[in-house]
Amino acid sequence: MIRTAWLVAKKDLLIERRSRVLLWQVVPFGAIALLLSGLALGPTHAGHSSAGPGLFYLVMLFVALLMINRSYVIESTPGTRASVQTLGLDPAGVFLGKSLALCVELWLSGLVLLAGTVLVLHTALHGALLALPSVLVTLAAMAAAGTLYGALTAGGEGAATLLPVLTLPAFAPLLVAGERSFSAALTHSGLWEWWLILAVALVAYVGVGILLYGVLEES
Amino acid sequence: MPSTETSELSPVAPPKSTSRSRWRSMGVLVVLAAAIIVLLSQGILHSLNYFETVDQALHQRALLGTRVFRIEGVVKPGTITRTSSGASFVLTGPKDHEVFVDAHGSPPQLFQSDIPVVVVGHFTSPTSLDFDGSQILVKHTATYIAAHPHRVKAPNRTTR
Amino acid sequence: MIKQLSQRLLGPVTLLLLVLTFWLGLWVTPPDRIQGNLVRMLYVHPAVAWVALYVSFGTATIASVLYLWKRTRSGTLDRVAHCAMEVSVVFIVLTLITGSIWGRPTWGVWWAWDARLTSTAILGVLAIGYLALRRANDDPVLRARRSAVFAIVSAINVPIIHFSVQWWKTLHQGATVFTSNRQLLVHGSMAWTLLLSFLGFTLLFFWLLRARYRLEVLREETQRATLDLALEMRQREGAR
Repeated sequence: MIRTAWLVAKKDLLIERRSRVLLWQVVPFGAIALLLSGLALGPTHAGHSSAGPGLFYLVMLFVALLMINRSYVIESTPGTRASVQTLGLDPAGVFLGKSLALCVELWLSGLVLLAGTVLVLHTALHGALLALPSVLVTLAAMAAAGTLYGALTAGGEGAATLLPVLTLPAFAPLLVAGERSFSAALTHSGLWEWWLILAVALVAYVGVGILLYGVLEES
Repeated sequence: MPSTETSELSPVAPPKSTSRSRWRSMGVLVVLAAAIIVLLSQGILHSLNYFETVDQALHQRALLGTRVFRIEGVVKPGTITRTSSGASFVLTGPKDHEVFVDAHGSPPQLFQSDIPVVVVGHFTSPTSLDFDGSQILVKHTATYIAAHPHRVKAPNRTTR
Repeated sequence: MIKQLSQRLLGPVTLLLLVLTFWLGLWVTPPDRIQGNLVRMLYVHPAVAWVALYVSFGTATIASVLYLWKRTRSGTLDRVAHCAMEVSVVFIVLTLITGSIWGRPTWGVWWAWDARLTSTAILGVLAIGYLALRRANDDPVLRARRSAVFAIVSAINVPIIHFSVQWWKTLHQGATVFTSNRQLLVHGSMAWTLLLSFLGFTLLFFWLLRARYRLEVLREETQRATLDLALEMRQREGAR
């Protein structure tokens, strides 16, 4: 399972490195979305540090949706899924591999956008650094949930529009817990509670993915 | 060379025994159950509470400052005063702690003495126990008692 | 014989129970000490919510689990899951609407961001997502499998909704019927009317499910017949 996961993750990350979609399309999209959120709030509210966590996660949600969609678009070339099935790869390994690749991509985008939050939305740098562990766990949980939901919609009619409908409700608890943990980091209160909640969410999404991904990949 | 190519193209055996995957599934389920039990046993889900009770608010008084939050308590009988902008009253908690509330806007239809309410607002200053409310929400209980259940009916079926 | 009789009686009995519930609820039962006549929503909202969360979503989830289990896998179960989820959407929407109608005069607002209300709304979105997922896949086997997985994962939300009023402090009141100490917190005739409403709306669900299931079978038959006809016509064109 681990070997398969590593192979699949390497393959996805290699494709991403060559295509540079993350660098030239997704991250700029996130940056623009963050800037527009600040403009929508107006200078008085956007400059208030309490707006930062919520807006950061909202933008990360959109970035995650783009990346999940992308993660399955690269599988949609004719014969790719069939060849994966013919190779007899362990579905749990495939799930973990795709989640890992997506997680790395989300972490990279997250770091850039976190810096953007500090710069544009005036979020305290010390608080943002303190929130970093919870941001990484939240994005990892998003990657696991997104991989499962991406597999549900892959290849279907209107997959790109169906994906948000299915995924956003699953992301809602992550958005709430992520935002609260970020806010807790800014006020230095109740941090470990949120880390624990997010860690449990991560375990839950990975566990459900390992159990059910095989059912989706059955031919 | 051709023989190597042929062997590479030959179908790969399916993943090994299903008992292994069954054990793995069991393991995952155990981890999932353990994770959920940890979450519940730690009682840390209180962070998603809709409101703070009067006692909790006073306990965290310094932390709350003048931040907007929702406070819950029972309206102390005989303390309601209708003001030009809304109503003022005293809110009590389970340990008889009290907070004076001055709320703006018209209170809901069921607002009355001795009823649990949730008030949205903030303390007027970092040390004050006076609460400036912007909205009153009535929190009704799950108990339903008939109004005047033993009222006697007159022969003409009207109530006395 | 018994099966036929129960099928025939399902509709009339449901109608009778609902009429009885509304009659008792609107004219016979007394007003509440605090809520007054608002309490009459008690005979609609909890029963509708019960059907939405537990009966219909539960039926869809159980049918999905049985579909994924290889020993019991069948198209019938997939159809049952689909139809139950459709009925569930209707009941979840009704739950939210009746809750809002009750909430406005009681709480003072149509909507509150508390755990019970928010998680119920999320369940509604999930149920709609399930139906959207079914429409996105033409292959019946793929569609059945994907929607079954989605239904099972979505069902995690049901216990969260149920326990939300115990785990968190919510504006929504605690359990009225399924209390932790098994004590019904409703008085006299109000309690009987409440229980009657639960029975009536549960039967309404089964009646709707049966009707929707029959409609689905007819739709599939028509689709098959249309396809056969189209193939036959093409074959005739080819023979010419």
